[in-house]
Amino acid sequence: MESQILTLVTFFPLLGAALLLLIPKERHDSVKSIALIISFITMLLSFWLYAMFEPLANGMQFEINIPWVASLGISYHMGIDGISLLLIVMTTVLNVLAILASFNSITQNVKGYYISMLLLATGMIGVFCSLDLFLFYVFWEVMLFPMYFIIGLWGGVRRIYAAIKFVLFTMFGSLLMLVAILYILFEYQSFAGEYSFDMLKLAQMPLGHQAQLWLFGAFALAFAIKVPLWPFHTWLPDAHVEAPTAGSVILAGVLLKMGTYGFIRICMPMFPEATVTFIPYISVLSLIAIIYGALVAMVQKDVKSLVAFSSVSHMGFIMLGLFALNLQGMEGAVLQMLNHGISTGALFLLVGMIYERRHTRLIDQFGGLAKVMPMFSAVFMIVTLSSIGLPLTNGFVGEFLILLGTFKANVWYAVIAASGVILSACYMLWMYQRMFYGKITNKENEGLKDLSIREKIIVIPLVLLIFWIGVYPKPLFDRIEPAVKQVMNQMGRSGTVEVDEDFSIKPVLADRTAEQELIVKAEKEGE
Amino acid sequence: MVPISAYLIVGVALFAIGTVGVLISRNLIVLLMSVELMLNSANLCLIAFSRSQNIMDGHAFVFLVLTIAAAEAAVGLAMVITLYRNRETINIDRFNLLKW
Amino acid sequence: MDFQLPPYDLKMMLPEIFLFLWALVVFTFDLLTNRKKETAIGYLTLVGILITGVLLAFTGYGRGFGNMFFNDPMARFFKIIFLGAAFMAVGSSFGILKQRIRNHRGEYFGLILLSTVGMMFLASSQELLSLYIGLELTTIPLFVLAAFYKDDKLSVEAGIKYFIVGAFSSALLLYGISFLYGMSGTTDIVQMKINLAITHLTFTNIGMTLVIAVVTMLAGIGYKLGLPPFHQWVPDVYEGSPTPVAAFLSIGSKAAGLVAFAKIFVNGLSAFHGPEMLPNDWGQLVALMAILAMVLGNTVAIWQTNIKRMLGYSSIAQAGYIMIGMVTMNVYGLSSVAFYMFAYMFANMGAFAIVTVFEDKTGSTQIASYRGLSKSAPGLSLTLAIFLLSLAGIPPLAGFLAKYYVFAAAVEKANSADSASWLYWLVGVGLITTVFSLYYYANIIKQMYFSREDSPYKIPVSAPAMMVIAICLIGVILFGVWPEPILQFAGDIPASFGFIAR
Repeated sequence: MESQILTLVTFFPLLGAALLLLIPKERHDSVKSIALIISFITMLLSFWLYAMFEPLANGMQFEINIPWVASLGISYHMGIDGISLLLIVMTTVLNVLAILASFNSITQNVKGYYISMLLLATGMIGVFCSLDLFLFYVFWEVMLFPMYFIIGLWGGVRRIYAAIKFVLFTMFGSLLMLVAILYILFEYQSFAGEYSFDMLKLAQMPLGHQAQLWLFGAFALAFAIKVPLWPFHTWLPDAHVEAPTAGSVILAGVLLKMGTYGFIRICMPMFPEATVTFIPYISVLSLIAIIYGALVAMVQKDVKSLVAFSSVSHMGFIMLGLFALNLQGMEGAVLQMLNHGISTGALFLLVGMIYERRHTRLIDQFGGLAKVMPMFSAVFMIVTLSSIGLPLTNGFVGEFLILLGTFKANVWYAVIAASGVILSACYMLWMYQRMFYGKITNKENEGLKDLSIREKIIVIPLVLLIFWIGVYPKPLFDRIEPAVKQVMNQMGRSGTVEVDEDFSIKPVLADRTAEQELIVKAEKEGE
Repeated sequence: MVPISAYLIVGVALFAIGTVGVLISRNLIVLLMSVELMLNSANLCLIAFSRSQNIMDGHAFVFLVLTIAAAEAAVGLAMVITLYRNRETINIDRFNLLKW
Repeated sequence: MDFQLPPYDLKMMLPEIFLFLWALVVFTFDLLTNRKKETAIGYLTLVGILITGVLLAFTGYGRGFGNMFFNDPMARFFKIIFLGAAFMAVGSSFGILKQRIRNHRGEYFGLILLSTVGMMFLASSQELLSLYIGLELTTIPLFVLAAFYKDDKLSVEAGIKYFIVGAFSSALLLYGISFLYGMSGTTDIVQMKINLAITHLTFTNIGMTLVIAVVTMLAGIGYKLGLPPFHQWVPDVYEGSPTPVAAFLSIGSKAAGLVAFAKIFVNGLSAFHGPEMLPNDWGQLVALMAILAMVLGNTVAIWQTNIKRMLGYSSIAQAGYIMIGMVTMNVYGLSSVAFYMFAYMFANMGAFAIVTVFEDKTGSTQIASYRGLSKSAPGLSLTLAIFLLSLAGIPPLAGFLAKYYVFAAAVEKANSADSASWLYWLVGVGLITTVFSLYYYANIIKQMYFSREDSPYKIPVSAPAMMVIAICLIGVILFGVWPEPILQFAGDIPASFGFIAR
């Protein structure tokens, strides 16, 4: 049982989806409760995983490695380190909350909806567990169509356009990734004489600079579309605005993280040299995303699209932190992945709650909500502050570390990024002010009810998480740090990139000619 | 002795006439005849090659091809009749119900 | 003279002989029973195919009739595909059995069986003469089947178009074969390989003859496969002919074309493949056809309003993907083609089976009439969606692994030699057009699911059709998740061509 726990966590939702298929579709209540129970058990399983996970230990844990399609070198290889562990836990938690949040808002084709949600969960958890490139790709694609259905079937007015745009964008990226995977496979075959998709083995394979650039490009495009990095972000606002609340929560909370996770898990260890080469480009794109996302968010009239564009901005931060390529930046980025999941997920949930009451999301329709819905306003405030990154909330820890890391890598990047923090405070607080303070201008807002018990159950864990991470993030860092160091060591192993004592990455050979290379080699041998 | 190239040239000519016939004729019966011509040009080549190299496979081939051609013609003519019953024409240009 | 066939030979041909006899039984059964029992004849046909399958399983590998008849892994693999396609086509014909072909049931099923016999002979032939006869035996019954609704103008028109194209293409093929025979002096493909290698070394000026042979044969087989520029008949015939026949055509005829292609080009002409068994000039010609097929099939399919026509264009595109694997001509490539065909069979037959069931009830093949189907027939819609996603190549369905395998073969080849790096272009086009294809497959899913209206149709599914759909569904999912046995089997196929198996 313990050796197969990853299999269990991954496929338990799938099992639940199969179970749901058997239930007659008229019985909405039992469908809902079974979906909730399944996702809750999955969450408990992931907590168990968290409890058993050994912090501060190096390497992958709970590894499973069984040949799957032996004749093509595909194996069922799973295993997690601290990064994947935390993302899995976040996925399962958000999944429970998302399912709980859709109890009232989803009224038609209920059964199909919950089946899609559970399938999606399997896909997402699978992505974070896979250590086999092929398996990774399969899970990556598996979650595509449930999401397509969630947006397209239960979404808003322009749902079909948004759904198809989402699928085509993602599919385009992932097919490029497929080519790169194929190329790596045969490179590895000529290097080691066997077919293998094992990420750990592939990371040890030396690759030429040119090949690395191309491969990095292919993977990075797929991941950048998912993140989404400017200018590949155009699918995101559409998808977010049209998706139902739960869809947005999962999309923002987990799906976007798959992109950044891909950079850490695949791009960096496998193509270290190309990673270093690409630092300026990706950093600049991230900076553009930070500023652009914030500016566009400022002028949005719809709360949901405001949150969507703020996601673009925040994901830019995460990318910037990752590509600072030092311990602070990367740890901060990983933590910020969790934070963004929690706070943006919470924002979407809250927006969904107000939408259920008023059936509009336009900011100018609200005003003075603080008087009629004090509880709701308080929670919204906390989440807003967490999203801005106020000290004592989770957002602060992550953003601070990212800025610290960026500062060490390049001062100017840090300066520009810091202005993004200020902008985010502007648009979030301005939005809050317009919605919650002042007089009640719209009569429809007068009779609004405050949070119900179900809604309280949804928001309380998120608020607790926001403060817990903000005050005492050490247990998380205990798990993140060895994983980040491991990634850096993998990068350093190739010999073309150096990791210094306080873990920041430097390009060694990126700009050297062959002649200089020889000199360096001679020097090293002399030592 | 006639050189093999002579047979082949006749064969190519027949084949070309047949191909052009298939491509430009508007009448189904003429089209069927053109296909027969193409098959027979292939037969001629087979026989010529067979004789020139003194191997008998080609002869056997030709007999079987003749049989197949007969079968094909039978099916083809039957279909032309069905078509005529339906549409009262055998002009190819009129068969345009199925497009794009 | 005391001449006897060795009994060993006949035993090898047992499945074919049995199926041929069974076809005659089906013909006569219909006459004798006075056409009272409607469905009995359909079940009789299904049983015949099943028994043939069992016989096939007990027929070992070997060769007979003086190297004219080979039972090698390739033959067996494709025979399974042919029998599977026939089984599913017959299974989904029960609807039209009651409605539209009341008076000619025996002929209908008998002709399907005869065509299958032709395909099986084709798969086993190792010799140009029997190959040609097998191909003709495959296609002549299909002409009749395509025009089977005698009073339906569309069907008859589809039949005559198919006939013209079929007859023309087989004449082209025959002409090419005659030149091949002239060059090599033999009709035996294995012997031909040797003879051509010698000719290739001794005479340098066989260029023109070779070009004529290759071009005409390529055109002939290109027509059978529906590769552009020889593709125009495909959508017309798919739209006009009875739906189960279109389904049978899409798998059986295409697989038959592939077998003929592999036997003639990959095996017979291997002397001209260059030092690394690399397809030189005509390989690039085929690659060009494949690119055209993928681009044209996938883009034109987007505008279609008729689902059968759309599947027709999609099948042109799929032929393009298959040819990627074929053109690599290495161990990987040949197995990938076989696996692709296998996975494609389940997805395509399944999709056609549902289209048939839908047409039986509503009489419509318009995509628009599928609107809102997910509400009145949720199970059927879900299954159709799964088949379409498999055709589009979404994991974890079998279609994905098939596409992956084909691309892998091309990348491996391109990676191994600099002169083959043009294969990357092929892969690139394949991937981009895959995104296009997703659009039109997803369009049907969109019609079924995203429409807020309710569909007025309740679709009843007869037991045999249900069985066919279930088999296809299981196949699509199972061989996507656990493809190992089929891959092992497909991995043996290159051995049939003298390649050393991995």
